[in-house]
Amino acid sequence: MTFKHFIGSAAIAVTTALSLSAQAANVKLGVINSITGPEAPIGESISNGIKLAQEDLAAKGTKIDIVWEDDTGKPQIAMSAMEKLATRDNVAGVVGPYTSASASAVARLAEKYKVPLLVPAAAKEEITRQNFKWVYRMNAPADVYASVLIDAVLDMSKSSGAPKTAAFIYENSDFGTSTSKTAKAYVIKKGMKVVADESYSKGSPDYRSTLSKIKAQNPDVVFMVSYVADAILLMRQSREIGLQPKVFLGAGAGFTTDQFAREKDISSYVLSSTQWTDDVKWPGAKEFAQRYKAKFKMEATYHAACAYASMMVMGQTAVKEASDREKIRAELKAGKWDGIMGEVKFQDYEGYQNQNRHPMLVQQIVNGKYLTVYPINLAEAKPVYPFPKWK
Amino acid sequence: MKDLILQALISGILIGGVYSLIGIGLTIIFGVMRVINFAHGEILMVGMYLTYTLFTHWGIDPYVSILITIPILFIFGGLLQILFINRVLNAHSQNQILLTIGLGLVITNTMMMIFTSDYKILTTTYSSSSMKLMNLSISTPMSISFLITGVIILGLYFFLKKTDTGQAIYATAQDREAAKLMGVNVKMISIITFGLGSALAGTAGALVSPTYYIFPQVGGAFTLKAFVITVLGGMGSVLGAGLGGLIVGIAESVGAVAFSAGWKDVVVYVNFLAILLFKPSGLLGKSKE
Repeated sequence: MTFKHFIGSAAIAVTTALSLSAQAANVKLGVINSITGPEAPIGESISNGIKLAQEDLAAKGTKIDIVWEDDTGKPQIAMSAMEKLATRDNVAGVVGPYTSASASAVARLAEKYKVPLLVPAAAKEEITRQNFKWVYRMNAPADVYASVLIDAVLDMSKSSGAPKTAAFIYENSDFGTSTSKTAKAYVIKKGMKVVADESYSKGSPDYRSTLSKIKAQNPDVVFMVSYVADAILLMRQSREIGLQPKVFLGAGAGFTTDQFAREKDISSYVLSSTQWTDDVKWPGAKEFAQRYKAKFKMEATYHAACAYASMMVMGQTAVKEASDREKIRAELKAGKWDGIMGEVKFQDYEGYQNQNRHPMLVQQIVNGKYLTVYPINLAEAKPVYPFPKWK
Repeated sequence: MKDLILQALISGILIGGVYSLIGIGLTIIFGVMRVINFAHGEILMVGMYLTYTLFTHWGIDPYVSILITIPILFIFGGLLQILFINRVLNAHSQNQILLTIGLGLVITNTMMMIFTSDYKILTTTYSSSSMKLMNLSISTPMSISFLITGVIILGLYFFLKKTDTGQAIYATAQDREAAKLMGVNVKMISIITFGLGSALAGTAGALVSPTYYIFPQVGGAFTLKAFVITVLGGMGSVLGAGLGGLIVGIAESVGAVAFSAGWKDVVVYVNFLAILLFKPSGLLGKSKE
């Protein structure tokens, strides 16, 4: 680059900067996200989803300025970020944070400072159960992860007779026990009997004894809650000892990863639940997945989709109501949006307030790929039920 | 229920074989040097990553890769002895413990820098295959591991009993000073012993790789297990460590069936305490005096 060129491009940069700052009427929104720290990989998906939404809003003529705050996954940092956004930056609304712990802490502050808060992807039920007026949530809360799987199985088994017995095997962590607790209650409510209830501690290499114990009960449904490495081992050893239920249900992190799906010998036909898939029949979902992959060179996850939809809703509302916090809150409560997450409407039901009644999806792994199989009106693929005999 | 217990017994024996290998490695190091190697599990973890790398980059089967793992870890262990352990042989035992714990931390964090803390899992064609024997299913990879363990332990037995070096190791374990006076190169024997112990740990790592997952912090759990096994069998007793490994394996897997998987560690430690209560020096340990 010659010196002349350099002067030229610098001048252009300066003028663009000036013209940007000249548009003072831009809507200003805050984002709290786990940009660094242990949750950073998921935080990256969320940031990407929000960036794509910002771009799409700009293409529609709605310019939005975003103030990014990194909570590093820690609630206390998320709280100071929220205070800064509410008082110093004076934003019209906030999208985030990612983790349940941070979101719970920030929700209280949103209420205090009267700032509309839209939580994109935190699962803890309590977040929208505290009679808060300013806190909204896009994704379905934790209890739906289990119930949608059971509903899907009951639907699939309509012609062949409903399953009668269920066995549970889960990690003895907070995550494992709480998820399986809601699942057990739901299974009993649906008239099934719990014939085995086994917890294990993470990092024991040998689940064969536990699985043989479950096999001896011959359950129709095997419900598992595990992280990725244990998920693979559990399925491997199930195959080894010939555990053959009508269906394997995988709730939780381990069963919804590519690493798990790639283990084709043991991952096929396992059902798992998720907030969003790239083949679901919601408007724009497939295009979103393609554009996301082209732009960020990685697969779009449900976190990205939730974040994208949240920013689209918050952005449109904030622009419509000219950054008036009280009016934004009222519009979030009254409005209805349609997009890649299906219909979004924040409702009060079953003890929840301002909760988007998001229908979760059930996906089945076929040949290393996740296919949406339930609810039927949103699915392209037909589920394989019962679970085929192990080869 | 009978089938269930039988199944648990078989799983327990198969996994117990590998535990024996881990325990024997620790016990011979203790026998010769009177040093408890708290980095034992970490050395095992190095064996796991070595197997993983050989398999994913060069497609070498985990069981065949033992032929490469054994010499590499022998040299690795020997170097640890020359560079670190030799220097603290006459120091207080707490210094020795701190040194080996420190070595373990360094190894763990080095592996974390190279491989990240993500869980790695080996997928072989036989990872989830099994053989049927009446109503029981016997894991193919675990059976192969068990056979290899048997061969290695047998080889070790002959090495210690029938070769001059083996006898020198025995002599050093019995009385270091007397061995020195008899013309045994005690320094060399120490290096060989630590190398041998490390090679056994590494082999155990290689043998569990096809059925386990690999991450840098995996070593700690195995160090603890190795410690329990050697104390159970009697510190310094090779046969005791072999027996201890089988007992821990069986206690784990029968415990998981009789109670619940979350309780299996409790079953192991209650057994452990009960044995120590009646035999404080371990099953085959010689009490002092």
